Amino acid sequence: MTGARRRRRRRMATVRAVVALVLTLLFMGPILWMISTALKVGTDAFSATPKIFASPTMDNFVHVFTEGSFARALGTSLFTAGLSTIAALLLGAGIAYPLARYKIRGQQHLSFWILSLRIIPPIVVIIPLFLMLRTIGLTGSVWSLVVIYTYMNLPLTVWLLRGFFADVPKEVEEASFVDGAGRLRSFFGITVPLALPGIVATALLAFIFAWNEFLFANILTGANTRTAPVGLTEYVTPVNVEWSNIMAAGTLVVLPVWIGALLAQRYLVRGLTLGAVK
Amino acid sequence: MLPGLLFLVGFAIYPTVYSLITSFYRWNLNNPLGKQWGGWHNYDILLKDPAFWHSVWVTVRYVALSVVIQLGLGLGLALLFFRRFPGDRILRAMLMLPMVVAPVVVGLLWRFMLNAQFGIVNYVVEQLGFTRIDFLGEPGWALPTLILIDVWQWTPFVFLIMLAALQGIPEDILEAARVDGAKPWRIFWDHILPLLRYPIAVAVALRLIDAFRVYDLIYMTTRGGPLDETETLSWQIYDAGFRSFDIGYAAAFSWLMLILVVVVTTVFLRLMLRKEDLS
Repeated sequence: MTGARRRRRRRMATVRAVVALVLTLLFMGPILWMISTALKVGTDAFSATPKIFASPTMDNFVHVFTEGSFARALGTSLFTAGLSTIAALLLGAGIAYPLARYKIRGQQHLSFWILSLRIIPPIVVIIPLFLMLRTIGLTGSVWSLVVIYTYMNLPLTVWLLRGFFADVPKEVEEASFVDGAGRLRSFFGITVPLALPGIVATALLAFIFAWNEFLFANILTGANTRTAPVGLTEYVTPVNVEWSNIMAAGTLVVLPVWIGALLAQRYLVRGLTLGAVK
Repeated sequence: MLPGLLFLVGFAIYPTVYSLITSFYRWNLNNPLGKQWGGWHNYDILLKDPAFWHSVWVTVRYVALSVVIQLGLGLGLALLFFRRFPGDRILRAMLMLPMVVAPVVVGLLWRFMLNAQFGIVNYVVEQLGFTRIDFLGEPGWALPTLILIDVWQWTPFVFLIMLAALQGIPEDILEAARVDGAKPWRIFWDHILPLLRYPIAVAVALRLIDAFRVYDLIYMTTRGGPLDETETLSWQIYDAGFRSFDIGYAAAFSWLMLILVVVVTTVFLRLMLRKEDLS
């Protein structure tokens, strides 16, 4: 009896595994197709019968890196996303730590206000921000993006860090006070190391959002300060769309983010829901 | 705490208020008269303009359909992954990847795959015995296609939330129902679904907020076309502000959009959440 049940259960698991594999391939398919196209020579990429396994070549990647300005755009993206992530973490921690530790009047309201900022569509604030940045002469400069991405990521970092700081037991911190450590020393010496996995995951998410951002980057950057997503549009001209290069460049945009997402997997749900679902 | 807060206030309050004030001016950067007080002028034009209501309708359809489909598929996938099976961890890690792909890349990639001449999707369509379809260019096809692309990218997100929520349900609740002899779909309907109310509310609210602002995808694929079939709110505001330079009009437009997003999201959350969820 139990043997039959176990066998039935195992069969169900196999069925589920097969269904899940098929569905996963459906979701992965487009991305695999992008990578495989990036590895093909032009004639293989556009053949009448799609070739899944053409002889692979790195030509497109070499082209994307050496011709035009895409390599530079990747550098700009790395710079803006990296710097704004650091800034958002520092400013965010400054708000998140008191929210997690002290009883402040109106604390709940403040937290919700910060969260509610997420609801404002970027298109609503883009014209004033554009005019404002133009007045101080920052349009066309990478710094405008650093500033905007920092702002864009602050609600996220505040909410996530608040949760991760709150997870650190209060007693551990208090013990370090007894040992004579100051607030700041106990924060950097005790709280930060204990919350580190969460902080790293928060940083990764902030980085991903800044790295992928297009609307602000498209409007605020000039010819020399394009980020990678804007750089991609360079391959689309009215007369021609350089598909092979787009797929190679697209792969380069996606790859670092993928690796990050896989590393932060465990925190991804918590991060993407702003800590609402753990 | 202070520097961060000042920064937030500066970048959140100032632009929104500025935008509100601007929305009451007639101000086109191409107009030599410059900035002139217009009162309700911009709002008046907008609310009487069929093109405005058209873009509201396009956006609402886009948002509603993609979110509903994502919820259904995401929940289904989560139920599939709920019980362990060989290889589930690797598949789950692979499944979540579409949502971290930059929307710009998503747009270009699908445009490539859906191309009427050499796209792989149309190859499959032809092999199945149908004629090739210009998915992004043919009237009637473009909006559903964009919805499908959104579904492809964001179903994994809903799936991850639903899976986390399912795994948080205490096993004994399900076991007790099973011992009582409840049928699987009864267990799902009576015992699982009520416990998913909060995670569903969060997932849908986040997707609502995000889907309303769709811009990158449209920029890379249809640019509002064919005709005006995919002219969403974000796209029209961009068009008014950065192509016609009609700043006052665009500001009024964006405020109407903000109101719409806030109303839809809060009404939805009010309906879904109870007081105890907010603590």
